[in-house]
Amino acid sequence: MKLAALAFRNIRRNRRRSVLSGSAIALATLIITLMFSILAGILGDYRANVVRYLTGHVRLRNMAYDANERLNPLHLSVPGYRDLVSRLEEEPGVAAVAPRIQFATAVYREERTFGGLGLGVDFDREQAVMQVQHSLVAGRLPRMGQREILLPAGLAAEVGAGVGDKLTLLGKNKYLGMAGMTFTVTGIARFPVAGFNRSFLLVPIDTAERLLKMEGEATEVLLLARDDRRVAALAARANEIVSEAGLTGVEARAWERIGMWHTLMRLVDTMYNFIALFFFILGTTVIINTTMMVIFERLREIGTISALGMKPGEIVRLFFLEAFFISIIAALAGVLLGSALTAVLSRTGVDLSRAMQGVSFEVSPVIRPKLNARSTVFVFFYSVAVASLASFLPSRRAARIQPVEALRSI
Amino acid sequence: MTRTLAVVRLAAFLLLATATAAFAQSAEDIVRRLEANQRFRTQEAEGALIITDRFGSRTKTFVSYAEGRERMLLAFTNPEEKGQKILRLQDEIYLYFPDAEEVVRLQGSALKEAVMGSDFSYEDLTGEKSLLDLYEVRLLGSEKLQGREQHLLELKARGRGVAYPLQKLWVDAVEFIPRRAAYYALSGRLLKTLEVLEVRQVAGRSVMSRAIMRDALKKNSSTEFRVDRVKLDQPLPKNLFSLEALSW
Amino acid sequence: MKFLFALAWKNLSRYSRRTLITAGALAVGVAVFIWMDGWLLGAERESERNIIWYEAGSAKVMNRQYLEEIQTIPLKQVISDPAAVERALEGSDAAATRRVVFSAELFVGLEDGSGEGSLFVKGVGLDPETDGRVFRLAETVREGRFLRGGEPELLLGDWLARDLSAAVGNWVTVRARSRYGAFQTLDLEVVGILNCPNPLINQGMIFLPLDLADEALEMEGAVSEIALSFPEWQNPTGRLAEIRRSLVGFPELAVADWRELASDFLAINQGKRAGNGILLLLIFIIAAVGISNTMLMAVYERVREIGMMRALGMRDLSIRLAFLLEAGGIGLIGSGVGLALGAGLNWYMVRWGLDLGAIVGDMQIGYRVHSVFRSAWHPQALVGALVFGVLASMAISFIPSSRALKLEITDCLRHV
Repeated sequence: MKLAALAFRNIRRNRRRSVLSGSAIALATLIITLMFSILAGILGDYRANVVRYLTGHVRLRNMAYDANERLNPLHLSVPGYRDLVSRLEEEPGVAAVAPRIQFATAVYREERTFGGLGLGVDFDREQAVMQVQHSLVAGRLPRMGQREILLPAGLAAEVGAGVGDKLTLLGKNKYLGMAGMTFTVTGIARFPVAGFNRSFLLVPIDTAERLLKMEGEATEVLLLARDDRRVAALAARANEIVSEAGLTGVEARAWERIGMWHTLMRLVDTMYNFIALFFFILGTTVIINTTMMVIFERLREIGTISALGMKPGEIVRLFFLEAFFISIIAALAGVLLGSALTAVLSRTGVDLSRAMQGVSFEVSPVIRPKLNARSTVFVFFYSVAVASLASFLPSRRAARIQPVEALRSI
Repeated sequence: MTRTLAVVRLAAFLLLATATAAFAQSAEDIVRRLEANQRFRTQEAEGALIITDRFGSRTKTFVSYAEGRERMLLAFTNPEEKGQKILRLQDEIYLYFPDAEEVVRLQGSALKEAVMGSDFSYEDLTGEKSLLDLYEVRLLGSEKLQGREQHLLELKARGRGVAYPLQKLWVDAVEFIPRRAAYYALSGRLLKTLEVLEVRQVAGRSVMSRAIMRDALKKNSSTEFRVDRVKLDQPLPKNLFSLEALSW
Repeated sequence: MKFLFALAWKNLSRYSRRTLITAGALAVGVAVFIWMDGWLLGAERESERNIIWYEAGSAKVMNRQYLEEIQTIPLKQVISDPAAVERALEGSDAAATRRVVFSAELFVGLEDGSGEGSLFVKGVGLDPETDGRVFRLAETVREGRFLRGGEPELLLGDWLARDLSAAVGNWVTVRARSRYGAFQTLDLEVVGILNCPNPLINQGMIFLPLDLADEALEMEGAVSEIALSFPEWQNPTGRLAEIRRSLVGFPELAVADWRELASDFLAINQGKRAGNGILLLLIFIIAAVGISNTMLMAVYERVREIGMMRALGMRDLSIRLAFLLEAGGIGLIGSGVGLALGAGLNWYMVRWGLDLGAIVGDMQIGYRVHSVFRSAWHPQALVGALVFGVLASMAISFIPSSRALKLEITDCLRHV
């Protein structure tokens, strides 16, 4: 009799046992899938924040800017950025380009001043990069060319300004002279990172140019790559474009080379992988123990078939096949359910605002679990492999026991 | 014999006392004449500030008006800051920006900020106290600067709250305007120096027309102050020193 | 009753393999739970400690005006008689230390004319003898040594030193304004460089001896703040009220706890705390699944045995109890082992921590970032895990044994 057919018969014969072990495997697989997706979501979120708000995949800046970053040196700029942006957008590897002007500023309102970091941005282009539209909680985005400003929620509360109010921004222009301009608040944003909520003021980049006397200059240009694995190549290409344009003082840097952000990201990455590992061990334990239990519970059966002449090798193979079939179905069910749950959760997001009580300015951080090859395909194969292999030890042990002994165990 | 000695001693003492008294008088006199020279009913000037730091030089041109020592209006005329104005009324400073819809009032710690990144702070623009109110002056002697005789004065702050607790002033013996000033911190370390490069005669008075303030702690950090045209004691438009006038 | 215990014990040893497998799953679950919980708690404590140990202490006493304008560091808003305040606080058993806080410009390389750089920094005059009662700065000295009173010395944050290319032994000049607004300069020798888990310190702060700051800045014994440390910093409301009562004679002063004082430095993982809850929940579920299915299997396999016992006259209740005890036994063993394992892991993490930086490899790009993860002890979790393990095991065995008890005895015996 074919072992496979026998295996199938056995599975169907003792439904309860099969369901029990199958469901354990399915649940363990489901949870691991879900957990990997959540971790991927958290990590992805973190990474996305750094990329969208701070470094892009590639960042173009004046070579001397970083050394003097604390002084916010507007004159160490990327000149002629409009042209540069057009050229960069033509590159096939580039998904999005965002020019920005970063400037230290103070909000002056009702005779009080509040420090902040001004960002002159191209709101249309930032739809793809900073994606400010997702952070908007009141009002609308400023229009290009207008004296309109988007305030972060924390600062808005501190300053006491809301949509429709006017405030004056003070700062230093490129020539280290004074700069002052009155803006109308058109919107309030809640950024996903706490620090940004207290300081990022967004204005249209062309208005910032007027305020700061920057003529067609930006302090940085951020690039998003189509493929985030080919960032180094993109940076090299960007440098070529920069020299073709004759901008000798400007350099493009890939995100790994941008100071401490990348280091932090790798650290967080490692930390979460570590956590994932422990989950994995746990899940594996469950699968193993289930499979083992199943076999040990069937010692009498083993004794019987052994007495009937089945060879130890065949017995081991039989149980292997049983475990294999159950685990395929179970793991598949687990991964599919896990993926479905992930898909649902990633749409609605896991809203963790209740856990952040008492912290009024923080945004409700929403985790969006993400599916990836690791959380699905890998987990599936792993579960099947573990379950099947886990059958070896107990079945070999059991097969070696004398039939008489086996029959005696009740 | 003892009596003669006593008389001689007394005479010497008195002589010395009057001489010293004469000296002390002299120092304060010098300051008084110095300040009288800088006192005017009104002043109208056109000039430039050239600010230099490690990144290079920037020139800012202005037109300024002043009435006594309490009111001043400075309007920038260079293209980058054209239309910006600074108004000082007693101890208050107001800033006007063409692109702002309100007038910015500077208070408290903001007054300690540098004007346009120069080596002058807003605080330096305020305060109508005489040097004699703030400092005890002592005449150290004479020195020659660029061939001209200068009275070298040492100014020690009388009390607290004086930004530069120690100053040295070189006052031209003939024209009674400062040719050089040195500003020191409490520790005695030199913080800034002011060098007057050119002097001009206007309406019978000597006026500084080019001066340069240097930061002694930072390399290449200085502010040159240049007056191209100045009119003294001419009538000025009414209401020039008012918040409304800022938006003209 | 004794019989039942004995029966349970015998069964445990009889089905030793089953016992071990189930207990094993439970042990791993409990161990991972404890370890994870300890780590997550440790991370939370770490960020709190960053503030308490280096920035704010448990609370600070300061002039009301100072607190209001704290962003601008108003040196003139002082506590004029710190000794009186300290006396008033004597009874409250909180450690205290005085500090003078001021803004300054830091110049490097003035002597040899190489100086090009100057940076605006936050200056802190601290008392080297008492600072350690509230803050742990002395532990963060990575090069050189901590301050000694009376000498013209300075401590720099690591990143600041890097930006200015300053090293131990260099002389620097600090320019600041005194309490009354007069300009002042101090020439100080860098005696130590700090690398602190709190980036604010690394980035832009300098520390000098309080007596030096007092004299140079014309403080006349007044200070900017008196930092306090007390054990119940987690829940300071009671303590704060007590302190405020002691200071009722100083209406111009205010007391702020560390939460109010904490500045927001970039906190990238906001969802961490709640995300943690989810992780723990998932561990919980996996562990539950692990024990439940083996438990279920075990009981179902023994339906015949149950039938036998019933046939022999044992009462249903006794049978239930016997199984409950057995399950409880498995739970105890599993949780016990898990507890030991988890506690062991946690102890390692608390004592030595896990240096993920070493795993990441080259961390020397840019500024030094703290990469050691430390755990914390969470006694509630330890006890809770143990109790859960036992109770859950017992609860889970309940269902199948109930099922078996509902069958006819003969059906039980016939069960395979």
